Amino acid sequence: MGKKFYKNSVGTGKYTGLLLIMPFVAGLVLFTAIPLGMSFAGSVSESGTYTEVLQSSDFYKSMAVTLKYVLILVPLKLVVSLAVALILSISLRFMGVYRTIFYIPSVLGSNLSVVIMWQFLFTSDGPVNKFLNLINIESVGWYSDSRHALSIIILLRLWEFGSSMIIFLNALKNIPSEYYDCAKTDGCGKVRAFFLITLPLLRDSIFLNLILQTISAFQEFNAPYLLTGGGPMKSTRTVGMLIYDEMFRYGETGYANAVSWILFAVITIAIILIWKIGRRGSEEF
Amino acid sequence: MKKNFAVLLICSALLPAFISCGDMGEVPKKASETGVKEPDGQIDSCKLRFSWWGGDDRHNATLKAIDVWNELHPEIEIIPEYGGWDGWSEKVSAQINSHTEPDIMQINYDWLVSFSPDGKGFYDLSKLTDYLDFSGFTDEILSFGKSGGILNAVTVSVTGRGFFYNSEVYRKMGAEYPDTWEDLISLGEKFSDENIYPLDLDIQSGGTAWYLAVVYVQQKTGREFISMDGKLGFTENDIKTALDFYKTLEDGGVIRSVETRTDEDGNVALYQSPEFIEGSVAGVLEWGSSVGKYEMVLPEGVLEAGNFLSDENGNTGGWMVKPSMLYAISANTEYPDETALFMDFLLNNDEASVAFGTTRGIPASAHAEKALEDRGLLTGLAQKNDEMIEKLDTVTISPYMELPRMKEFYNSAIEKISYDQADTSAVAEELYNSINSYLDKIKVKN
Amino acid sequence: MKLRKIFSKIIIYILLSLVGIIMIYPLLWLVGSSLKPDSEIFGSVGFIPEKPDFSAYFRAWQTVTPYSMGHYFLNTFFIVVPKIIFTLVSSTLTAYGFARFDFPMKKFFFALLMGVMFIPSIVVIIPSYLMWSKVGLTDTYIPLTVPSLFAVEGSFVFMIYEFIKGVPKQLDEASKIDGCGAIRTLVFIIVPCIKPVLISVAVFTFLWTVNDFMTPLMMISSVEKYPLSLILRLSSDATGNGYEQNTVLAMSAIGLIPSLAVFAFAQRKIMDSITFGGIN
Repeated sequence: MGKKFYKNSVGTGKYTGLLLIMPFVAGLVLFTAIPLGMSFAGSVSESGTYTEVLQSSDFYKSMAVTLKYVLILVPLKLVVSLAVALILSISLRFMGVYRTIFYIPSVLGSNLSVVIMWQFLFTSDGPVNKFLNLINIESVGWYSDSRHALSIIILLRLWEFGSSMIIFLNALKNIPSEYYDCAKTDGCGKVRAFFLITLPLLRDSIFLNLILQTISAFQEFNAPYLLTGGGPMKSTRTVGMLIYDEMFRYGETGYANAVSWILFAVITIAIILIWKIGRRGSEEF
Repeated sequence: MKKNFAVLLICSALLPAFISCGDMGEVPKKASETGVKEPDGQIDSCKLRFSWWGGDDRHNATLKAIDVWNELHPEIEIIPEYGGWDGWSEKVSAQINSHTEPDIMQINYDWLVSFSPDGKGFYDLSKLTDYLDFSGFTDEILSFGKSGGILNAVTVSVTGRGFFYNSEVYRKMGAEYPDTWEDLISLGEKFSDENIYPLDLDIQSGGTAWYLAVVYVQQKTGREFISMDGKLGFTENDIKTALDFYKTLEDGGVIRSVETRTDEDGNVALYQSPEFIEGSVAGVLEWGSSVGKYEMVLPEGVLEAGNFLSDENGNTGGWMVKPSMLYAISANTEYPDETALFMDFLLNNDEASVAFGTTRGIPASAHAEKALEDRGLLTGLAQKNDEMIEKLDTVTISPYMELPRMKEFYNSAIEKISYDQADTSAVAEELYNSINSYLDKIKVKN
Repeated sequence: MKLRKIFSKIIIYILLSLVGIIMIYPLLWLVGSSLKPDSEIFGSVGFIPEKPDFSAYFRAWQTVTPYSMGHYFLNTFFIVVPKIIFTLVSSTLTAYGFARFDFPMKKFFFALLMGVMFIPSIVVIIPSYLMWSKVGLTDTYIPLTVPSLFAVEGSFVFMIYEFIKGVPKQLDEASKIDGCGAIRTLVFIIVPCIKPVLISVAVFTFLWTVNDFMTPLMMISSVEKYPLSLILRLSSDATGNGYEQNTVLAMSAIGLIPSLAVFAFAQRKIMDSITFGGIN
């Protein structure tokens, strides 16, 4: 290996930087690499575990539920947060107040209190159904109807759109207003300006949000576990819950580890796809 | 530069040491492989972990009993770990798999099969007879706690599911508590005008829906659903009869359909639901040892025990009993002597028994039962249930029947029927096959 | 023209207010209902109680355990504080290493930093539990806090990294001339410049820790050591108690206080600094 010159603004040591990131490297080995290795070993310790998973209808049912959840939630959340961020970026009074209010739910995140509250809101005589009755819509059996149970979870996560909204807002702030002035003088309408200027310049943050939301949606566990228990008819039993059930309820460690690895693979493929489609030679990331 | 490099070297030298510290990469060894700690014949001062699940009444009673213990044995501190039933077995299973379970645990009947099929998963209690007094237990009751021939656990109480009714609602409706299955079914029609259900059956963690259907078929055919050694006794046709029976109850308005029930209660337990508290659901099938929480939410004396149902010829067979719960000692405990002493206190001590009352059912230990009787504390629904069940010719539930995976099979079968996803013969066939293949699978593993 | 402008302004405000009501209504409903008797809770869409009754809060504060909520607040505090300190120190050091130094395999490690963020946490939770139980540290706060010493939150490292890159390099070089070493430069030059992002990292660590439910559920078993999230679970668990619904709601309301308080305290700073870290 040829000599390489390491240029450091502080200190000259070739290894100073490496030393500084040592805690991170150690943590990577201890808390990621070793557990991952153990989990993988667990998944292959019994032969035929993966075949068993790939032959079980429970697995496909859960995968289908999870894919449906990801495909509905992620685009919905991105569109809503982008739309709200666009409105909030108009310089008007009180925008700060609205921004704070919209952000609060995502601060509370997966706090158990929020889940308990959500559970109450959607009971058959809860406020959501009462509201539907007010506008002449019949009550919905949120928990009992397999067509609706997943929506409780989707709505909870949608309610927490604040974090992606903030990422968009901060990105919008960084678009120089001269761009729009130019567009205006060129006789370009607002809608066209949005598609020609705003959207391309937001590409990085859309991409970022897309990846973050996809990852967390694929892993969804807390909400179905606490809200619906996976029912009715397993219509809300996500892969995360399947892993938990197999691992803790039925003691099928090998099966659970195998499902985790399949989930990992699916997430990786999804991320690579997003990467390939959405990102062509952007700067360092 | 030199200094930095030295530190880096030290770090990288330490890293593998850190990792290999305690062989973290390996799955922990079982106590049975590394050697169980033998009793040393001494009582030392120590801290013991004690875990149980239950409702509020049981938590308070147990904490009170621990206070009594602390006065008797201040040198042995008890660290309580408790919660509701939902998620509890998952938690204990994680602990047992990693050998970090508490010293003494309240365990469920099926855990003997899941965690100690060879009798080595829990401490061998026959080694601890210096501290544990079994004189209050019959041989039959002691045998419930044996696994692979080894005494692993002691039964706290024996219980069976019985009917409990809201007497106010029944009086208002001018209805008698049912004695036969026919009576029960006819109640559905009688109550339907008022939109009241005479009974509640669930497919949640309790799974009373399948339980009652099994009793019905057992009474009818005289066959046991699952034998003690884990063989399916029902035929496919028996299973279909059970499912049909459930469907009859649902269609006849005796119980709410799964859909209505989920709709009204969501994830709320029955005894917390307005439907039960306000009386639009007027009956429940529950363990005598756990009925306390239902009793608590209604005005005093309103919940009453009803008869165990029979066929028209007065045949009351098929009803089931089981140890409601057992105490077991961890095979990994550091303090077998001290834990045994505490376990004896929980089972036999007068003051402890008084503190517990009937929050864990009518005690199986004759000493504890006497302590309650002497003080006139053997009252209430748990006692009533116990008396009635003693008169029946009961079947002991197989621990295999209660395995979580099996419960999932029953519950999803009932769910499918209730939601009209398939007809009962198709569901029966599926249930029959999944039970059989699962039982085969776990027996191979064990 | 002017009329149109006012008109569109009104539309915007109405739209935002509608969204705002949806966002805030559940929380108001939660607090309102906790002040109602159980029979009124599901009476209507409205959340304002006729006669506010605070008794549910007294019951909630007592909890179903021998300890009051105060005890569990303190427990949470004992987890959160070390965790914040550990996270700040380890993430800053790592970010500093990446932002200011050149070293062998830097690209490789940086890629790993990013990669870690994509690993489903559910994959590692079981082995981690086994690891900690092997060394006998389950049911202590160590599994909850010590990993933070190792910069395990890649997104925080990345946030700080971006900020350090924004600090002019001339400052470092000046300090080098003054004879400062790498660590002194970090402490005296860099850290004062990146204070805003450090505050955000602290706040997010706080929020995530308080909200986290799965890790303590796995690691902590004795009730005495429960953090807030677990005591909420114990009290709301349908199979665990005979609580009235307003008490469960009151308890949930109390459980939201720490997060809301910290958010109120730091909202400006954190909202401005999120470019990457605002994930939940």
